[in-house]
Amino acid sequence: MITINCRGQACPAPVIATKRALETSPSGVCVLVDNGAPRENVTRFAQTRGLQVTETADGSGWSLVIHGSGRQTVASPTLPVQTTGERILLVTSDRLGEGDDELGRLLMRNFIHTLLETVERPDRILFLNSGVLLTVQGAETIEALSALADLGVDLASCGVCLDFYKKKDQLAVGKTTNMFSTAEQLLGAASVVRL
Amino acid sequence: MSDHYLVKEGHCLAVFNSTHRVLKAEGLLKGLAFDILLIPAPRSLQADCGLALRFNVELLKAVQTLLKNHDLLPAYISCLQDGQYTTCEECPDDNH
Repeated sequence: MITINCRGQACPAPVIATKRALETSPSGVCVLVDNGAPRENVTRFAQTRGLQVTETADGSGWSLVIHGSGRQTVASPTLPVQTTGERILLVTSDRLGEGDDELGRLLMRNFIHTLLETVERPDRILFLNSGVLLTVQGAETIEALSALADLGVDLASCGVCLDFYKKKDQLAVGKTTNMFSTAEQLLGAASVVRL
Repeated sequence: MSDHYLVKEGHCLAVFNSTHRVLKAEGLLKGLAFDILLIPAPRSLQADCGLALRFNVELLKAVQTLLKNHDLLPAYISCLQDGQYTTCEECPDDNH
């Protein structure tokens, strides 16, 4: 088992380094990461591949031991992406449609609220760009999104986007994600609806 | 029983027929720190624009008074009590 030191690295660098390390050492990898998004993202990356993660805190961060055979062969980048069968809603703006901004914002929150009443719901909602403004403190959509999360809808907001809008510490619902996970989830989805 | 995840017992809904009016009413009440939420009106209460302001029944009188004083009365106000929507105020004017 090899050990890689990703401390001090911002996402998605630790995830990319972990993926590369697993390709050269399929039996397992020990990843040293900082707490917060790097730890969460590396752990999620491994778990979505069916790998086991053992986390240990040490003085300066976390040690993640990743092992197991996984659901897909991480050593073979030529394999097609495994389809998850998920229905993903990709929210790239805090406004719905083009035109008046106030109307666009009204339509977007109305849409989010209406998702609670529809028979079919997405498995996952990914928030990118100004879409992340729907998931932070003070947003009118927090109550509805929290209810959707309680119903099993996975909510993930782009960490880069939260950082750009200086809202990183204000995420009120769901979790932070990175472009690596976002790209994989979009490519593996059964269907993606973009707003 | 409520047909809406966002409407619970003791909530009132001011249902509007005009998008501009509901936005003005929301701005007025929010500006006065009223605890309200603009939501799609439940199917059973749908009006033309399908939007409603949700608030607790304790605020009913204050909301009614404010909206009336600012000429922003909704089409009607319904409250959810014992699982049923009861219309508290109906405004016949079609300018809502």
